[in-house]
Amino acid sequence: MELSEEIKEARDILQNIVKAKKTFRMYLQNNPIYMKTLEESYAKFRNFFDYKDSLSLKIKQNSISYDSEQIYSNQEKEDNLALFFFKDGLRELTFKKGMLLEELEEFLKITAMDFDRDAVDDDIVILLWERDFQNIRYVVDESILVDIDDEDYATSAEEKMQEKVTDVNDLMKAYTDGFMEDEVKSISIVPLADKDLQMLVKELEKDATDKVGKLVTILFEIISQADMKSDIEETVTFLNDAVRYSMTHGDIQTVLHVMKNAKQTMDDPSCPDDEKKYLKMMPLYLGNEEIVGLLAELLDSGIDIDVKIFEELIDFFDKNAIDPLVKYLGELKTIRARKYVIDALTVVGKKDIQALSGGLNDQRWYVVRNIIYILRKIGDKRAIEYLLKTIRHGDVRVRKEVIKALGELGGREVIQTLRECLDDPDMHVRASAAKAFATIGSEASKKIILDKIAGKEFREKDFDEKREFFEVLSQWKDTDVYVFLVKILKTRSFFNRAKLLESKAGAAYCLGLIGNKDALPLLHKIKDSSNKLLKDFSYTAIRKLEYGQ
Amino acid sequence: MDNKEERASHRGGQDIINQLSVILRTAQIHDAANIAVTTAIEKYLALINPLTASEDVITLELVGEYFYINDTRVRYSLEYLLSFDYLVREFRKREIGKVIFKDMIRAEDMRIFLKAFIAAGYSETPYEVMNEKMAESNTIDVDRLRKIAEGEAVDTRKVVKKAYYNAVSFTKGVMTKIKAGEKVNIKKAKRIVESMVDHILEEEKLLMGMTAIKDYDEYTYHHSVNVSILSIALGQRMGLSKKMLTELGLVALFHDIGKIEIPAEILNKATNFNDDEWKVMKKHPAWGVKALLKLKGMDHSSIRSAIVAFEHHMNYDLSGYPKVRSYPELDFYSRLVSLADQYDAMTSSRVYSRIPLTPDKALSIMMERSTTQLDPLLFKFFINMVGVFPIGTLVMLDTKELGLVYESEVIFADRPRVLIIIDQKGQSVNGPVVNLTEKGESGKYLRSIVKTLDPNKYKINLAEYLL
Repeated sequence: MELSEEIKEARDILQNIVKAKKTFRMYLQNNPIYMKTLEESYAKFRNFFDYKDSLSLKIKQNSISYDSEQIYSNQEKEDNLALFFFKDGLRELTFKKGMLLEELEEFLKITAMDFDRDAVDDDIVILLWERDFQNIRYVVDESILVDIDDEDYATSAEEKMQEKVTDVNDLMKAYTDGFMEDEVKSISIVPLADKDLQMLVKELEKDATDKVGKLVTILFEIISQADMKSDIEETVTFLNDAVRYSMTHGDIQTVLHVMKNAKQTMDDPSCPDDEKKYLKMMPLYLGNEEIVGLLAELLDSGIDIDVKIFEELIDFFDKNAIDPLVKYLGELKTIRARKYVIDALTVVGKKDIQALSGGLNDQRWYVVRNIIYILRKIGDKRAIEYLLKTIRHGDVRVRKEVIKALGELGGREVIQTLRECLDDPDMHVRASAAKAFATIGSEASKKIILDKIAGKEFREKDFDEKREFFEVLSQWKDTDVYVFLVKILKTRSFFNRAKLLESKAGAAYCLGLIGNKDALPLLHKIKDSSNKLLKDFSYTAIRKLEYGQ
Repeated sequence: MDNKEERASHRGGQDIINQLSVILRTAQIHDAANIAVTTAIEKYLALINPLTASEDVITLELVGEYFYINDTRVRYSLEYLLSFDYLVREFRKREIGKVIFKDMIRAEDMRIFLKAFIAAGYSETPYEVMNEKMAESNTIDVDRLRKIAEGEAVDTRKVVKKAYYNAVSFTKGVMTKIKAGEKVNIKKAKRIVESMVDHILEEEKLLMGMTAIKDYDEYTYHHSVNVSILSIALGQRMGLSKKMLTELGLVALFHDIGKIEIPAEILNKATNFNDDEWKVMKKHPAWGVKALLKLKGMDHSSIRSAIVAFEHHMNYDLSGYPKVRSYPELDFYSRLVSLADQYDAMTSSRVYSRIPLTPDKALSIMMERSTTQLDPLLFKFFINMVGVFPIGTLVMLDTKELGLVYESEVIFADRPRVLIIIDQKGQSVNGPVVNLTEKGESGKYLRSIVKTLDPNKYKINLAEYLL
């Protein structure tokens, strides 16, 4: 290959590296554009290596040369490949024939990094060193590691050491004394054996475990030995950092370890008040938005979570965790994660019903429904006043959930609202309200349901709704209800017979559910009705009463 | 080394050295026709022949402590450590520097090699015997062990010295900056440690030699760098990866960082510490933890550094300080760094202990402490690394020459290279450097150490000779 051709190809390769630097930043590894750029770059290198064994690039601040010919120049500070290499001390880069695609990819990934942002502790030379490429060599100017003030340190230190010239007389004395010294007692060095290596391998395996737990132990030791308040305060900050670090790395076990240790320390009667004061603040850190956000991310990631550890950890959350938990409840993508957060809120929410009820104002219907569910699970009657405010929520799913919750929480204050819900325009809401009365189970509730069924409007309702109401009524297995149902079955009418027969079918069904065998003669009487619905439900009731089926 | 092929090629190199070592060891016990030898040869051929087929010639070369296959250095690995050491020793004994495999190697060629190898082991002119006997084989050649050119060594010495002083200067800068509340460049620390790791991988003895020169005035900085170098060297002997060596070097460099909090009047006190002063001194491990966690926040390397900073005086049996309540066993790095720390501290003239121990005395004390204060397993690796007479030991030879141990000898732990400073006639000289493994025509060693002396007692400036 002619020199001019070589230079052209080298320039081409470099332009491709510039292109790849951008592409690798923009696209993920599995993106076709990423793949295409990598393959193109590799192909260019391969073409070059058909004629030459290596490609060596000399790097200056604003230019890159191949074989003394400048093939890249850029005077700008931004997007300057030469400067990008130069500033970390890289002065020469050599790509050798035999370079693997994986090596080139790794190299391009490094060049795509933004060291000012991505990797605080690394630079290009550190990463090249760590990758230890077989076919990419580099020359580094290490003088950039020396501060201007310290440039002469090596010279002056060496000079200083050399200044202390050994006195010949002292040397001679050493020589003379040497003859009088005792002979050396040999130190026996036992050579290394296979057993030592095996033990070392075990040590190294043990060493691979995570170290945060150890650091946490150390930090608690430091706290226990601290003399000053400021020492405790500072060390607690480090413990909080350990919580954040562990949460970031998905290690909730260590987070639990930290919290348990803090509690154990505080529970110790000998724990000084100053120590307690700062340790008490740790649950607040655990519950802040950042940490809860990390936990939420972890839950959403699909990583395996030990339920027991999670539950233990949740016990350490303070009420300040409620707001962030509610926030992330609305943002989580997976059902599993939402379930975990709901479980967490069910525990933490008890610590502040008002704060938890704040979630009822969320714009997202599903968050509101979940909060209602949580309040229902907690079962604290203080929630009623907040729940009542959501009874007119625009989403029927929310209304159904709140009715259920109110039914479970019970109390006089919910009756009127639930009664109003029996007239809701949505059939499902009305059915839910009826069920809520069943849950309450009081005489007043029974009366409300009886009145509702006895009302003129009831006859006009769909059979499904009627059936729901009768099912609710079956909760009260008393004479009042029995008499009421029998009365319906005996009712005659010339008008709107089909609707009446539906109510009769419902009443027959309810008698079956109540389990009062006195109803059997009447049911047998109507079982041969020409109305299919009445006939079917009478049979069902009879079967239930006679055979318990 | 991140991709599979490269790893495989390194692994292949290690396998070749290991299997050659297996053949040689087996052949020294059994006859060449024995099934154990034959099987070992077959295994070796299965490794070497695919390589000769693709590369035509495979050269196994011993340079210094390391083997190279076709100019690529074969890394030490923990698994094959003993095989490597064995082969280095046996090659040296026979003055073999290279074994060249050409074309297809037959079992018969290997038998010729084994025969020659064993015969050379009993000869006073081993290389000549080996070379003569290998004439029978057309596919295996040997070459004499090459001595490293003096000029090369001088230049490398300069580079290594620069790296050492860079590290000291950086450590001094870090401590000053932390004290002043200024930001510290961790990238720079990594680069400096990486450079030390490179030098240890390539020229372990030179950088180790630098640790023998102690600077009383800037003890803390020199000590930090020395501990880092000794730890890296020990880690490298254990076959740790480059990345781990950097991590280890960094944690070791910062192990004493807590000392920045100790008031200068205590740190520089020339007399013994009183109880209160000791109390303050004993706080530096905890202060180190805080300084490190403040330095760069919490990440993997700061966590490891903080652990070592806290534990490096605790002792293997937890008898040291800080005293702790219930505590798990010491971290691996802590146990390793505390060996390097104790050794360097004992052999340095510190402010509060002006008379240092001679390296060999320090080692005997450490040997006594092994299993109580020091991890016995790691100490075994340590003493095998530094040798019986570590660099800087002032020694009297049986030839009535006085010298300084210049380079340790890994294989023959009691036979280092020694710089002669007083000759047989009692004249002060600067050199030569003699190798105590050298034997005379009678097969006896030319020189042996008979006595050790304390260079500090005679104000012998090691830097004058070792730099």
